[in-house]
Amino acid sequence: MPSATSTKEIELIIEHTGGGSGGGSLPPAGGNGGGDGGGGGKKPGKGQPSSKRYFTGMAVGIVSILMFFMALASAFLVRKGASGDWGPVRIPTLLWINTAVLLISSGTLELARRRLAKEDGAGFKTYWLLTTALGIGFLIGQVVAWRQLARQGIYLATNSASSFFYIFTGAHAVHLIGGIVALFYVARRNFSEANVTRSVAAEVTSYYWHFLDALWLFLLALLYLGK
Amino acid sequence: MVSYDDGANSHPSAEAGFLSRVLFSTHHKTIGLQYMWLALGSVLVGMVLSALLRMHASWPDTAIPFLAGIENAPEKYAAMRLLHGSLMVFFVLTAAPQMGFGNFLLPLQIGAREMAFPGLNRLSFWMTSASLGGMTSAFFLQPDQGLNVWVASASVFCLAGLFSALNFTTTTIELRAPGMTLPRMPVTVWAWFINAILSMLIFSVLLAGCCALLSDRLLGSDFFSTTAFLAKQPQNLVREGSLPILWQRLFWYFAQAEVYVAMLPCFGFTTHLVATFSRKPVWKERLVVLALCGVGVVGFCVWGYHMFATGMNPYAPLVFAVLASSLGVPAAFLLASWLGTLWNARLRLTTSMLFAIGFISLFVAGGLSGLFLARHDLARASVSEDFVIGHFHLVMGVAATFAILGALFFWFPKMFGCRLNETLGKLHFWMTFAGVYAIFMPMHWLGLLTQSHLFAEQQRVALASAGASIRTFVTVATIWTVSAQGLFVFNFFRSLLERNNVEPDNPWAATTLEWSVGSPAPEDSFGSTAPEVYRGAYEFLAEDGNDFAPQHLSAEQLTQERH
Repeated sequence: MPSATSTKEIELIIEHTGGGSGGGSLPPAGGNGGGDGGGGGKKPGKGQPSSKRYFTGMAVGIVSILMFFMALASAFLVRKGASGDWGPVRIPTLLWINTAVLLISSGTLELARRRLAKEDGAGFKTYWLLTTALGIGFLIGQVVAWRQLARQGIYLATNSASSFFYIFTGAHAVHLIGGIVALFYVARRNFSEANVTRSVAAEVTSYYWHFLDALWLFLLALLYLGK
Repeated sequence: MVSYDDGANSHPSAEAGFLSRVLFSTHHKTIGLQYMWLALGSVLVGMVLSALLRMHASWPDTAIPFLAGIENAPEKYAAMRLLHGSLMVFFVLTAAPQMGFGNFLLPLQIGAREMAFPGLNRLSFWMTSASLGGMTSAFFLQPDQGLNVWVASASVFCLAGLFSALNFTTTTIELRAPGMTLPRMPVTVWAWFINAILSMLIFSVLLAGCCALLSDRLLGSDFFSTTAFLAKQPQNLVREGSLPILWQRLFWYFAQAEVYVAMLPCFGFTTHLVATFSRKPVWKERLVVLALCGVGVVGFCVWGYHMFATGMNPYAPLVFAVLASSLGVPAAFLLASWLGTLWNARLRLTTSMLFAIGFISLFVAGGLSGLFLARHDLARASVSEDFVIGHFHLVMGVAATFAILGALFFWFPKMFGCRLNETLGKLHFWMTFAGVYAIFMPMHWLGLLTQSHLFAEQQRVALASAGASIRTFVTVATIWTVSAQGLFVFNFFRSLLERNNVEPDNPWAATTLEWSVGSPAPEDSFGSTAPEVYRGAYEFLAEDGNDFAPQHLSAEQLTQERH
């Protein structure tokens, strides 16, 4: 669900930017359109004409990250189909719990953004930090899952299936660390001097976070169905 | 419009220290020029390398500097070829037209003060430099270590390319001046924009491939390694060339599109220069933009035709052959537009225009042999290294270099405030133009000669001796062409040092926004006023050839200027 809203919003932004060049004739499209109350703090018009670039940049960046994982996924499928030496990796049960943790974190992120829209700073902080904590929890869970596999004697170098398992989970973890840094940044930064509002920063970060969430579901399905 | 762009506030003043002025400046013009210097250094080294390689191939017994003892170390020769290719493809053909000219000119041409993410731009430049350092040092290391360093450097370059492409895309979408609608964008901007989108997609793929390959080499993972894989294969599949198929697939996915990454901005330059010096609007401008999009889309899809030799699904080659041949369609549109613009025009044959026309000539000559290579059956029958080398050097290497030189002669006043010497420039053009044809055309013949097993023994002997003399001819032509570049280097540095032909703001009577500011373009580009755009990018009035309508002048301002 969260990923669906975010893509819809990204499409909105792209649509808007594609046609809009009349010197800010339209207010920036954004979270308001999605009906989830996010992005309420964005001022339309002259105050912050430059915040749109962060949405566009994030949309473009997401496409490029997606392409990175698609390349690996196609390599995975080709390699799997091409060889008889495929020794599938049994997915540790812990991964399902991690998945739940990550999904919940997307929910708390949206709750935090709702609080921010209602100008409830304390509520925002609570949910935002909860999201961060859940994100870190997911990462710790992933590390534990890797160690479980290692104890079963399944390493990166064991066979190509395990190589792909580690590179998918590892690359996703690296991107998630970036997301956690962004979460900290939005929580800690003093936005009074910045040229974006906290809600814009929170909204852009939320797209990234929901994207990683959806990406994880895709990777898990790939690893589970393609084992 | 006080906070028109945040980047504008972060300019270091002229009094700032060397570090903040040069190393940490996030200003787009500074960064663009730094990319240009990086490319200039790389192209000179790469060119000397190519001459040394040719000399070694022709006269293996002669002692050649840097190549001493190479008979005992064939891997050194391979490393040298790799260095030549990496320098030319990554740091000249990718860096100069897109990151160099693009960073300098894109914000000026769309009326923005800065790129969308100046800090990211700076980071991307330093990553490019780091990658250049890595690839160069890989040459001096042992082959095994050297390859690791090379692959790591390629990954860093991919990241740099991705950041840069992110910047270009966002800047073009978000920071256009009021009135700069999509149809009014100069074709150069279109080319950079489409190119950035294409780069966004393909550099991710190469990055994924590099990560996996590096992990194979360093951590012993099993993405591309083939021992276990081969043991399970039927014997007929295990033949030379079929081993690293997966790596090839990922690599060529990138590399085939990379050709278009180098070419797209050059198409933009050529269109721009041809229109400006023909004093006519671009013929069928919308079709040109569509053709550029077409090159991007098809270029993205044709990676597979490099896989013909490697045992794919039998239908795949056909599909890719159709796709590859269909690149001829947008290319033909572009060609038609250039010729249509040139038709009946009063040409101003400046050096810049000569290079643009030279580009068209080389592009057609090189592109035609590409059609043979796109046919998978023909390619298998006739392909040999020399033919392929001749083809892609002509169409990608040399043609793109001509477009870059044309653009450099054109925008030099905007970059440095003075003009390159036209007489020297024209001499340089003709020497280079003759030289490159003399190098690469015979290479096509050489490629065909190697099919000599089809002939009888006697003919084969005759062909072999003909081949040897052609090779020598090619090498002599290479030395000639490389020496001719000395003229350019002399011209370049003399103009920079003397700066005696100081230019008016708009020496070529061009229409786009960058010519509305001073020469060289001032630090704060458009000053305190935000530019506005009133018309399309190529409003030349052909009747008298002198009249033109700059994009930043409204109809009233234009009538005032004329009286």
